[in-house]
Amino acid sequence: MVPLALSLLASSQARWLAARQKTIAENVAQSDTPGFRAADLKPFSEVLNRTGLGMAATNAGHIVDANRFDKAIVKRDAHSWDITHSGNTVSLDEQMLKSSEVHRAYALNNAISRAFSRMMTASVKA
Amino acid sequence: MVEPLQAALRAASSALEAQSTRIRVVSENVANAHSTGATPGDDPYRRKTISFGEELARAEGVRTVAVRSIGRDPTAFRSVHDPGHPAADQRGFVKLPNVDPILELADLREANRSYQANVQVVRQTRELFTLTIDLLKA
Repeated sequence: MVPLALSLLASSQARWLAARQKTIAENVAQSDTPGFRAADLKPFSEVLNRTGLGMAATNAGHIVDANRFDKAIVKRDAHSWDITHSGNTVSLDEQMLKSSEVHRAYALNNAISRAFSRMMTASVKA
Repeated sequence: MVEPLQAALRAASSALEAQSTRIRVVSENVANAHSTGATPGDDPYRRKTISFGEELARAEGVRTVAVRSIGRDPTAFRSVHDPGHPAADQRGFVKLPNVDPILELADLREANRSYQANVQVVRQTRELFTLTIDLLKA
């Protein structure tokens, strides 16, 4: 069913965004730890198209692996902006930028979900 | 494994704690920048250093930051000629702490900046929570 597929997509993107926010928080927290390498998640499109060994939910009653996006972590972010003398690759500016990117995407995601739910409610009422 | 946003808050709060310990160490150094010994030839205050390390909170599946060690700076003390000082040796020299105020202030600035960055992360994460809860109002 098409409408449910959309809410499934929206919720999995929200989960991916939350996992990304967690990764960013960890990077910022370790910004003064010697030798720490900044991490990031693989892009959402890549994670979505992955044909991995994740649990498939073919029925609404099936359990979904809620934390599967944690496995999408790229341990060493090769594109980090700078590297300090101690070998730390966290750039605070870059992490802040990513964090606001997450925020924007999350707001968009929420707005779509809300519009969609309003649409469903309207069609039910009619 | 906890919810990712909760985990983000956990990581940020561990960093806030670590950075405030760092600020404490810096202020101890600045406060003792002139603490000499009490008896002739006695060693003065030795500058403290702090180092952070990564820790994995296994139950929550989140990597937090913790103070790895608080050490002592092994660099040499400064020495000034002040024969009237109680800690002066036979030649009249007094050993002063190896604290450099400029260095301490730079360290303080950096700790401050990191602290602010972590506060910002907490703020952003809380905003994400609020956005989610606001869905109920639709």
